[in-house]
Amino acid sequence: MEALNGFLSALLELSTPIILFHVIWATLLGIIVGSLPGLTATMGVALLTSLTYSLDRDTAILVLICMYVGAIFGGSRSAILLNIPGTPASAATALDGYPLAQQGRAAYAMGLATAGSSIGTIVGIILLVLVAPPLAEAALRFGSFEFFWLAVFGVVISGQLTSLGSTLKGYIAGILGLMVAMIGSDGIHAVVRFNFGVTAMNGGIGLIPAMVGAFGFAEILTTMSNRSGVISKPDPKHKRVIPRMVDLWKYRVTILRSGIIGTVVGIIPGVGEDIGAWASYSAARRTSKERSQFGKGSYEGLIAAETGNSAVVPGSMIPAITLAVPGSAASAVLIAALFIHGVRPGPMIMIEQPDFLYLMAVMLLFATIAITILGLSMTRLFVKVLQVPQEFLMPIVFTLSVIGAYALTQRIFDIWVMVVFGIVGFVLRKMDYPMAPLVLGIILGDLLDKSLRRGLILSDGDISPFFLRPISAMFVLIIAVTILANLPVAKRLVSRILNGGSKSNKSG
Amino acid sequence: MIPMKQADIVTAVVLAAVGLAMLAGGFTMERLEVRRIHPASIPGLLPMILGVLLFICAVMLYRGARAELKDEVIELGDPIRLLGTGALCLIYAVGLIGRIPFHIATFVFIAGFVALFTWKGGSDRIRTLRWIVIALVTGAIASAAISSLFQYGFLVRLP
Repeated sequence: MEALNGFLSALLELSTPIILFHVIWATLLGIIVGSLPGLTATMGVALLTSLTYSLDRDTAILVLICMYVGAIFGGSRSAILLNIPGTPASAATALDGYPLAQQGRAAYAMGLATAGSSIGTIVGIILLVLVAPPLAEAALRFGSFEFFWLAVFGVVISGQLTSLGSTLKGYIAGILGLMVAMIGSDGIHAVVRFNFGVTAMNGGIGLIPAMVGAFGFAEILTTMSNRSGVISKPDPKHKRVIPRMVDLWKYRVTILRSGIIGTVVGIIPGVGEDIGAWASYSAARRTSKERSQFGKGSYEGLIAAETGNSAVVPGSMIPAITLAVPGSAASAVLIAALFIHGVRPGPMIMIEQPDFLYLMAVMLLFATIAITILGLSMTRLFVKVLQVPQEFLMPIVFTLSVIGAYALTQRIFDIWVMVVFGIVGFVLRKMDYPMAPLVLGIILGDLLDKSLRRGLILSDGDISPFFLRPISAMFVLIIAVTILANLPVAKRLVSRILNGGSKSNKSG
Repeated sequence: MIPMKQADIVTAVVLAAVGLAMLAGGFTMERLEVRRIHPASIPGLLPMILGVLLFICAVMLYRGARAELKDEVIELGDPIRLLGTGALCLIYAVGLIGRIPFHIATFVFIAGFVALFTWKGGSDRIRTLRWIVIALVTGAIASAAISSLFQYGFLVRLP
């Protein structure tokens, strides 16, 4: 009841024409940023932070949240239309969204993605308001040992779920990503590692240039090397945009489950929207009756991915507000913006500014309403992108990729990083190495390194707490089962045990 | 087209070398004895572990590739279009950016890209003129729009 009262009073406080005006333009800008390959939600929030200095606290934070929600949603546009995830969060969306576009159903796919995003964010908002304090308290119990396994878990799961045939290649991509994260100053003693004498590498390899290269430039090379082109034309027979209620009702369990998975993934520090999407997608694929359709244009797969990644946004706000620990890269920028605007995130926020949680929930709700309206009304406009010949679109995408790599740190070196990752990404992709574990490895490398060494310092070199603490033990079990399930030796052993059991049952 | 089996074997050898190099790099890395840090917190610890893991994966990849019976191939698409795209992008990102003003570099890149990939051949003068005008106008409009958006909209100091 207290939560409802807090939410309603925040709703009244923010329901002014000027606030609604800010919601519209910031969300629209977010959709555009998210839909342009190479421009990520993180970069959009970071760039917009500098434009919000002059705004008051609530308006500034509202604008940044609208940008964040809009950009994560906007990533689905290019994922569906071009098979280039506008943001890494939309990589799973492309798996079924692009095949649907190739079948001429781009408009309906975008309508479904809009519905999935909206419902996912709403599920996340409800969980944010209802369970933020107890969940934040549970997350406080995570120590270095648990964070270590959390990072391993992220890379293993990503390698497992995104592999295009051989799981081993998924793991290799994850290890390569972790190795890239080892470049630059280490997080504990500030020792510069593997910089090969290049001063620009002292700070490490930037995540955004690497992502822009691996997802943007590599895709440009792939698209341009296909003479026939991979951009699909819309089919005039399939003009419907607004999702049918029967489709949404049919996948209601998937939507609810994906919303919950996305929110939970958002709560886990440093994981982010892409894992929310992949985890939701994987859960949907595992339980679906139409499993064979996944990857070929499944409505269920598309909805699961979009619901999952959008639900991460409110989920990532939970540790960001209550612990000052970002749930995603974009929420890390948001924490910095909160400090700039006089909000001190952390456990004290519930005492110092108890209304702030509800204000954020209402801001997220406004952004959700805006993506629903803009997403459904502007779908036809995005379909028009399909009609732009790739010879005209691709140089513009590359120019944006160059700016995307450069804008955050304004270093020419980052443009070179983008180019190198683009070429390496193209080669690896051609050889069936997935890109998601590589990127995740770069994100989680620092967390893995610091947690391992901090844990060992805490235990005075004893490795047993990594295996014996309850949450750690749970992670170890899941990781071990995940890896062993892919080993032929383990598969043979399990089948022998099962066959032996059934034979002895028969003989008995 | 490149046989996947052959590519996997070459990759496995490269990855094994990278894994061993990472292991050696981590092992020989500064151990900060002077700062009396805990021996378990040496900076080279995780690089060594990752080096070993990559080496193991490389061996598994090698063995898997040797045992592979399927004749999968890697499709590289049209090599001329691929090389043309790669060359133009490299010239723009590494050669032009930072050396000449951004809007001029972008104009040259986009106009050049459009011109190269929309060229249909033939000696018709009107068609050739139209082709040149389309490339130049596309380059000019896109360069002006992108430069203005980021310089004045997002306040990015362009390279």
